[in-house]
Amino acid sequence: MRERIDFEDVAVGDDVGPLGKGPFTTPHLMRWSAAMENWHKIHYDQPFATGHDKLPGLLINGSLKQQFIAQLLKDWAGRAGWVWQVKFQFRAMNVVGETLTIWAKVKGKRATPAYGLVDLDVGIRNEKGVESTPGSAVVALPYRGREPVPYPFVPPPA
Amino acid sequence: MALLTDEARSFIGRESPPFAACDAVEPGAVRRYAQAIMDPDPAYASDEAGAHYGGAVAPPLYPSFMFRTPFGAPDVLTERAHDPDFDGIVMGVGNGLPELPLHGLALLNGGAEVEFYAYARHGERVLQKSRYADIYERETKSGPMIFVIIETEFTTEAGQLLLRARKTIIRR
Repeated sequence: MRERIDFEDVAVGDDVGPLGKGPFTTPHLMRWSAAMENWHKIHYDQPFATGHDKLPGLLINGSLKQQFIAQLLKDWAGRAGWVWQVKFQFRAMNVVGETLTIWAKVKGKRATPAYGLVDLDVGIRNEKGVESTPGSAVVALPYRGREPVPYPFVPPPA
Repeated sequence: MALLTDEARSFIGRESPPFAACDAVEPGAVRRYAQAIMDPDPAYASDEAGAHYGGAVAPPLYPSFMFRTPFGAPDVLTERAHDPDFDGIVMGVGNGLPELPLHGLALLNGGAEVEFYAYARHGERVLQKSRYADIYERETKSGPMIFVIIETEFTTEAGQLLLRARKTIIRR
């Protein structure tokens, strides 16, 4: 977790991260189920997952994968920046045994009066290179020599 | 086709009144959550590290996972122990929305759009308000699927907006 990165220090095409997670085991998924107190069987009950729900294996929770995207962007934006918007689709499944790479890439920059906005593509790939969670994000970064992005966040004027 | 009945479709537009999570943001629950998501950010444990946010905070998406089963609520796991179709999902108090009449259909998380405004601080109470923004059926490579779009706003008791989420749930 960095303190600060300035809008001027970011260029279109820059890679953010990546952040590595895994390899995932059933205990990882149990730990997350326990932390959020939800017991969806497709994450730990193999006969239910593959028999009843016809899935390829025990699924890594989408609810867990989205946390990793938030973490990657938050740590990159630093305390002085702010992750404003994140969108993603759970396009493909990830199963126990996989190792995930959470990535982001700067695709655009927009100036607003109080701070700059950075548009990014984001996603999660497994070790075979299959993208499971494609999406996009908007991160606010401070201008060099200026105040941090306001906290709580105040959206730019429309 | 026609997984989606008129009865289920009639839920579009229904919304929940704002209501509070059963517990405030608890440091122990935040620790277990942060360890489970493998994010060691010290702002999740220390007022000093979280000074920029006014003290120790919970991870960004934490407010949307606070709506747990309150003490004294019926035990769904025991009630449905003999139901072979029970998928183990315990919605806690869920989102306050009535359950859709789609029993026996598998549930998958299709994705989300989230806007963040602030983090919940340790000790704060959090409220949510949700609505069924849309429910529709689509033919896909893997057959017909129902897409359920739920919009939820999370705020603190003091009225600070924390985050807005627009979530896609797939039923098939």
